[in-house]
Amino acid sequence: MTISAAAVAVEIDGKCLLNDVSLCIEPGQIIAVVGPNGAGKSTLIAAIAGDITPTEGIIRYHDSDLQTLSFLDRAAIRSVMAQSQSVVYDFSVLDIIAMGWVRGRDGESARQFGAAVSAIVEECAIAELLGRTFNSLSGGEQRRVHFARALMQLWRPRGSANSAYLLLDEPTANLDLAHEVRLLKKLMALAADGIGILLVVHDLNIAAKFADKIALLHSGRMTCIGAPKDVLTAERLSKVFEIPISIDPNPLTIKYY
Amino acid sequence: MNTSNPQAGHLNALTTRQTRALFGLIVTTLAAAAVACASGSFDISLWALLKGNASALEQSVFNQIRVPRVLLSGLVGASLGLSGAALQGLFRNPLADPGLIGVSAGAALGAALIIVLGSQFAVGATLGAFLLPVAAISGAALVILLLYIMTRGFGYQGVTYMLLVGIAVNALASVGIGVLTYISDDAELRSLTFWSMGSFGGVTWPLLVPALLAITVALLMMAPAARALDLLQLGEVEASRLGVDIVRLRYRVIFSAAAAVGASVSLSGMIGFVGLIVPHLVRLIGGVNHRYLLPGSALAGAGLLISADLLARTLIQPAELPVGLITSAVGSPFFLWLIFRMQKL
Repeated sequence: MTISAAAVAVEIDGKCLLNDVSLCIEPGQIIAVVGPNGAGKSTLIAAIAGDITPTEGIIRYHDSDLQTLSFLDRAAIRSVMAQSQSVVYDFSVLDIIAMGWVRGRDGESARQFGAAVSAIVEECAIAELLGRTFNSLSGGEQRRVHFARALMQLWRPRGSANSAYLLLDEPTANLDLAHEVRLLKKLMALAADGIGILLVVHDLNIAAKFADKIALLHSGRMTCIGAPKDVLTAERLSKVFEIPISIDPNPLTIKYY
Repeated sequence: MNTSNPQAGHLNALTTRQTRALFGLIVTTLAAAAVACASGSFDISLWALLKGNASALEQSVFNQIRVPRVLLSGLVGASLGLSGAALQGLFRNPLADPGLIGVSAGAALGAALIIVLGSQFAVGATLGAFLLPVAAISGAALVILLLYIMTRGFGYQGVTYMLLVGIAVNALASVGIGVLTYISDDAELRSLTFWSMGSFGGVTWPLLVPALLAITVALLMMAPAARALDLLQLGEVEASRLGVDIVRLRYRVIFSAAAAVGASVSLSGMIGFVGLIVPHLVRLIGGVNHRYLLPGSALAGAGLLISADLLARTLIQPAELPVGLITSAVGSPFFLWLIFRMQKL
């Protein structure tokens, strides 16, 4: 039960954005995707989410080819938190969170909806935002609401065996320190509950501290994937990011300024 | 399970405010319909009609003139309001109105083609009654498809882009109608002019039936799209990540909006601004969720056009104003106000 990409290549308008990238997200695992601008991080998320069809290679959700799954089936397996979304009309924050509910609309699942909202609103500390319109929120507040919506999509009753996956593209952008830490801790708690997580981050220290595995992308290729201490070597990072980077292993600290 | 949670009902149900708003709209629309059935150049006492002691003249005016006319204006209003709401949702553009973006003009061109060229082919009256809405619906669908291609898959291009396309489409359609006007003979010209003024006059039951069918089908097709339209407001990619099949949603909305607008235009000509004003008013009263907005816009559109038609035929009795004149008189200042407000955002 994994989400896997095997030898995936993405070519758009003759430009090769991803080339021969393979990775596997196991339940309960956090994989951080790092790399310089234009390395193909967002393309990788989009391909794994099913937004774009790979030119080569195959992406599997559990044992099924992603291309054969319906949109609803995909939505039941994985949830995506993208970089930014604007909304034209004045939806309330509660409306936006409810949009994440893909588990059906009647009977048992409608009853679970209420429990899911209360739990997630509390975990994300957004109770004071609930009554407001989404468009009146600041950028950081909007991201917190989108995070809550992504969690709604993954919500399962306690003890249910369904595995689910969360894909995040720079979830900590626009967040202040406190909310950044809260979000990262929440990701660790989700992983402990068996949710597989793939996140794109810029901050190498966050990747080193919170991820089980790091995937280093450079010009569309997977340079290296593995445990943080193996992937994050001063020599490799300096080469990929093209600035001198030093690493203090105890505690693991990556310095570039 | 926490069933007492105040948010628990939010998934399916309308808020109290939305329920009240819909109820208010139903009452207002029914009241407008009752007044519109009773008044005109010849006043009818509904009370006498109910008690069964109305005169034969009163009864026949009521059955053959008033009821079809009020029904028609209500249905046309409902379909314009609903299509406006659905297109504004599909295009994620608060200015998407069937009239402004050229959909009504496409339908009008289709209908004009049949009015002028249709007499060349000897079609029976029954078939003719179906041919006109079919041609208008095809015209409307063609324009929506063109808009779809021009905006590269309804990608959000900013509000003005689509209006510019609408200007071009409106101009093209009026060239077509102009040519048709030029080549038409006297009888065709008379029915073309009468029809293009936008009026509910002269409607009869046999004319009403085909359009009524098309509009009902459109209303029924639109209803299940409410949640998908809500999700679409997050963007097409985001909606598909949440399980919406964007292609199917698009076809559903395009087909039903084209059917509703085309059938309306074939019966009553071009009536502007209803699809623009109505969804905005309905959003102001009760909020933006489509499960409320779609039925609300249908109701408010019906009420608005029934009232506008009542004004059109009572303001300068015994003469009659084109109803399109009244909706434009209300709609164009409203349009200006919307543009003014958007400028400040």
